[in-house]
Amino acid sequence: MEEIILRETESDKMNEFKTYHPIVNFVYFVFVIGFSCVFMHPVSLTISLLSGFTYSVMLKGRKALKTNLIYMIPTLIFASFINPAFNHEGVTIIEYLPSGNPLTLESVVYGLAAAMMIVSVICWFSCYTEIMTSDKFIYLFGRIIPSLSLIISMTLRFVPRFSAQLKVVANAQRCMGRDVSNGSIIKRAKHGLSILSIMTTWALENAIDTADSMKSRGYGHPGRTAFSIFNFDKRDRKAFLYIMVFGIYTLIGSLSGGMYFRYFPSIRANDVSVFGLSVFVAYGALCMCPILIEIWEVRKWKAIESKI
Amino acid sequence: MKKHKKKIIAGVIIAAILSFAFLWCDNAAGPHSRDAKNSESTKVTKTEELSKIPENFPSAESFQKTDEQTETEGNADLAEDIPLYSPSQTPSKDVSYSEQNGMDIKDDTGKDEYQTEPVSEGNPVPIEPENTVISDKELTCTMSVRCDTILENIAWLDKEKTELVPKDGVIYGEQTVTFYEGESVFNLLVREMKRNKIHLEFENTPIYNSAYIEGIGNLYEFDCGELSGWMYRVNGWFPNYGCSRYQLKAGDKVEWVYTCDLGRDIGGDYSSRNGK
Repeated sequence: MEEIILRETESDKMNEFKTYHPIVNFVYFVFVIGFSCVFMHPVSLTISLLSGFTYSVMLKGRKALKTNLIYMIPTLIFASFINPAFNHEGVTIIEYLPSGNPLTLESVVYGLAAAMMIVSVICWFSCYTEIMTSDKFIYLFGRIIPSLSLIISMTLRFVPRFSAQLKVVANAQRCMGRDVSNGSIIKRAKHGLSILSIMTTWALENAIDTADSMKSRGYGHPGRTAFSIFNFDKRDRKAFLYIMVFGIYTLIGSLSGGMYFRYFPSIRANDVSVFGLSVFVAYGALCMCPILIEIWEVRKWKAIESKI
Repeated sequence: MKKHKKKIIAGVIIAAILSFAFLWCDNAAGPHSRDAKNSESTKVTKTEELSKIPENFPSAESFQKTDEQTETEGNADLAEDIPLYSPSQTPSKDVSYSEQNGMDIKDDTGKDEYQTEPVSEGNPVPIEPENTVISDKELTCTMSVRCDTILENIAWLDKEKTELVPKDGVIYGEQTVTFYEGESVFNLLVREMKRNKIHLEFENTPIYNSAYIEGIGNLYEFDCGELSGWMYRVNGWFPNYGCSRYQLKAGDKVEWVYTCDLGRDIGGDYSSRNGK
């Protein structure tokens, strides 16, 4: 099974989940990113990190694996050093720092947990941008908050557009011998500045253009209808139900103390119980939802293929 | 009306959130939240009250000014307090006593270089740790660390910390300890806590030229209400300066006590210290 997934990721990236209705995508990410930001239990952190990491690699292929590892490992090391430098709470004193304050096991563990949380949230957001494209966001929020949703999607789109335009402008300038790699340092700085000024003008003009064109098309007006190709079909209903059931169960379970874990003053967790396990299983099932969908789709595809 | 519907809804939501936050935070003021509220209302009308400060002084301002507790507050608060602590507020005999003993009281603020007011007559003045030489001469004094006030206000204590509070409130029983001539109360505390494997966290605060004790035995400031924290008492007197600046003498009785009410529950608040 895994072999199939890896081969598939290399040829064409899988995003079966992307074809689902935007509301399904959005609710999924609200649950998963919200929970990843809040749950500090090591088991839930591991679940979130592993599934977020796997999913981002599945979506973006080998390249994502490399970039993920490049920032993930330094962040983990950095946080586990930084936290005990400022936080000295905890009953297990390992050593005394030169300042005289204690270095405690609890603060080191807490630093690691916080780092895991940051990394998993970054992973989830990289998946979010891949799945929740701006047209989906506008589709969901264009009616309720028209101007804000347009601004959000334009802002998110701005960075890639800006860097693409930067390349175009820099190439055009290079043809005239005004590249940032030509001449003395002062000349190079001058060339760089002129490129920057061109880019700024372009960005401002572009923003006004977009605003005008949206206005002339009647965007945000009450009578305006919007064409969309999104249908909420049976498949979406199933996925939506799945996400809602596990999401709400996890929420209730964590609110009633199923994921209790404390780091200070001493590390302590709940005893293993059926209820506690069920909350983690529900959380795992929620996080793995798109991965399961991909696997299931691949299996179905293979089954059909072999019959021919 | 329809045009402004969204604006009205947004306004109502913001008002609801603010009122919720206001009421919610009100509950967490500490054992004497009612007094704290009174002090806040007094603070609001401070400009009006400037004229009649002498009689309102202890009840209204003692919240802001209790030796170590002030260290948790920012500069802005201190600056705000300055007019209230004009030299005329402090008995002039304290000023002359403190100056005779080497404190440099500024005329405009009535405080020394490190925000300390004149020491009341008969008590030792602060000695800067960087100016002292610690010799090899061994002397003895007594020291204790207690948190009895937590037992009285156990309902306010952070639930996760309950197990850390000793049944009798004694974290470090009174005992005779050795120190070296020239050492401060802070040096002694750090060494004894390390030797007895008791947790201690402090922070150096340059503005007061002293260490601030944040927590002993994992019992931290603010763990037992918003007005809680550690204070120290030497020979029955709560110094109005940090523990790094109190130089020990042979036979001193050093007590570290936890307060749940800015020192008033242990007799160390501003008004009692100044004999008001």
